[in-house]
Amino acid sequence: MPIVTIDGRQIEVEPGTSVIQAADRLGVEIPRFCYHPDLRPEGNCRMCLVDVEGFQKPVVACATPVLDGMVVKTPHESSVASRAVNGVLEFLLVNHPLDCPICDQAGECSLQDFYMHPDYGQHPSRVDPVEKVHKRKRIDLGPRIVLDQERCVMCSRCVRFSEEVSGFGELQFVRRGNHVELTAFEDRALRDPYAGNLADVCPVGALTSRDFRFKRRVWHLSHTDSICAGCSTGCNLRIDHFEGRIERVVPRRNPDVNRSWICDEGRLSFRRLAGAPRLTRPRRGDRELLWPEAVACAHESLQTASTARGLPLLAFASASATNESLWLIRQYVEAAFPEHRLEFRLDRETEAVAERQDSLLRRADKHPNTMGALHLGYGRGVGLEGLVAMAEKGQLGALFMLYYPPLVGEESEETKERIVHLLQLVSESVVLTTHELPYLADAKLLLPVAAWSEEEGTYTNYQGVTQHAGKAVSPQEAVRPATDVLGDLWQCATAARRPTGSEHLFREIAASVPAFRGLSYAALDSRAATTYPPEGRMHYGQEGFAGR
Amino acid sequence: MARKASRVVDVRQAAEARTDVLSSTAGTLAGMEVTLRNMVRATVGREHVTIQYPEQRKPYSRRFRGVHVLTHRADGSLKCTACFLCETVCPAQCITIEAKDVDDPRIEKAPSSYEIDLSRCIFCGFCVEACPEEALIMSREYDLTALSRGPETLAYGIDRLTERPEIAAYGAGFRPHMQYPLVESYLPGEGPEEAAAEE
Repeated sequence: MPIVTIDGRQIEVEPGTSVIQAADRLGVEIPRFCYHPDLRPEGNCRMCLVDVEGFQKPVVACATPVLDGMVVKTPHESSVASRAVNGVLEFLLVNHPLDCPICDQAGECSLQDFYMHPDYGQHPSRVDPVEKVHKRKRIDLGPRIVLDQERCVMCSRCVRFSEEVSGFGELQFVRRGNHVELTAFEDRALRDPYAGNLADVCPVGALTSRDFRFKRRVWHLSHTDSICAGCSTGCNLRIDHFEGRIERVVPRRNPDVNRSWICDEGRLSFRRLAGAPRLTRPRRGDRELLWPEAVACAHESLQTASTARGLPLLAFASASATNESLWLIRQYVEAAFPEHRLEFRLDRETEAVAERQDSLLRRADKHPNTMGALHLGYGRGVGLEGLVAMAEKGQLGALFMLYYPPLVGEESEETKERIVHLLQLVSESVVLTTHELPYLADAKLLLPVAAWSEEEGTYTNYQGVTQHAGKAVSPQEAVRPATDVLGDLWQCATAARRPTGSEHLFREIAASVPAFRGLSYAALDSRAATTYPPEGRMHYGQEGFAGR
Repeated sequence: MARKASRVVDVRQAAEARTDVLSSTAGTLAGMEVTLRNMVRATVGREHVTIQYPEQRKPYSRRFRGVHVLTHRADGSLKCTACFLCETVCPAQCITIEAKDVDDPRIEKAPSSYEIDLSRCIFCGFCVEACPEEALIMSREYDLTALSRGPETLAYGIDRLTERPEIAAYGAGFRPHMQYPLVESYLPGEGPEEAAAEE
């Protein structure tokens, strides 16, 4: 295999690897606009010029495959490459507007970062601002994207994304030279259900998100790595939040699961959490309870209704629950109720789990953890429909339920009716849920639990890949993570305390469930994806100044 | 070295010991001399050491960092573009901005709400230095009172940061990057003490 030397460091790579890929693997920064690891290399921005020993002129690192014995010098080491890149940057900035204070990209803009880099940026401008060529700004491209033609550097990432990845091909360049413009035909609204990714692939502020528009400057945001809970694909994403409020969600790159993309539904799924009224306090009928009272009441009433009458308890957990919650429910039910059923199927999750909704990412099963529920021994019985039939015959004592409303799409009317029917049939029901839902109104005892992004945990996607989702924001005052509540219930049943941290629970799962054997919590984090560009590497803010 | 034994002094006895008439009268007269000198200076010479606050006020420097002012364009709209730089730089984190889209084709972004919690503000002036548009300057208004510490009383929104008569009365203060004279009706009017401060 070819061995290449980049800035004095050697690496052996597979034949056909480009210089920029080898440099990324070494951690050597090469500035780039048009190169993206999940798009075809195009080599049009000329920003990744490097000096190769024996070559007459600098070459683009993104479209040059490595050869054995190649010696490459990046702009950090070579003055030839540095001058070349500086020239490219100066050309790109000739007509760039002085928009940074009002541009949403500012703070995560490649153009800003590269200009501030001491090795190839920071040239004085030779262009009088009044001579700049002006183009159209603030063009509405539908509900997801706003286009600003002046800010575009013509890297064509967006054009390639919409042609190669989503297949809609709705963007194109028109005109030439100074007057070249990115445009959608007649400025028509983009129909692409993955259009949100256009704002992510755009290295500058030309395509920005309408949803995040002017919400926050990006340097105010805190980041938490998470997993999308919108469907069984389990796309890797990063939750950006400020003062306990989620402001936006962006994809993280994971070549095995979602590459660099997420669908728009998943991107906006966090809006659902605040879109409906939340359940804020434990409640029995009209009476609000305090937690210790509520937990004791839940355990006792379930006992009286099922074990005391010799009838089985139905433990129902939706497949949107984390592996840890599912595991604790099983532990609690097995400890306290000799006769029980574990179920998670509201609908046809098991058949739908791997069923594609389109050719890219979306899947028909709108639960993030169907595979986890199956691995943990749920759903070996008769399903919701069968359970309703059992309840009709009076064969069910009580219902214990952990229910999360879907973050993408709606629960079907049929499912809602079944839930209402089941709740009316059983004499005792304890429901842990996140929102005030009309179809759960018949539950005897309602306990508020944390929703996605408010608790830590793991989800197992349709491929069987277990991934870690972090806690981004805190739930409201009296709302607790489901694992906490279940730990208390377990204590009621066994009079012993147990740790309910997700790391501890995951270790228990890995030790006793075959499908999770050998997995470690820490390794889930490290195998998870990176953001692109890799965080802390392609951003040259303060370090750039300090280095001078 | 052995420690020196401390001397115990009864304060009351010491005070009594000093109450000989001569020395206390001398002390009082020495104090009275200062008082009388100032009285003569104020009444005969009309040289006042104090002023009749709040009817009279001292002129302060043009660099005085008082209550903030949001400035206007000539057409009366706010100059602020909601770039959040003042909020970013504020060490007391007392500035809260919300931005909105504007219909005007020349302006893209403007604040829908702009609030400075003056009960938290430390009047360092960083916000004014950070502002690229000189949309935020400081005035010479310094006497800031409120009847409670609630956020409503000293959290000034756009309306109170622009149009209050006090701002006009005190005049503009700290505005380090001012390249242009303060015309364009940034403020409702310059303060009456303008000439005095100029000296």
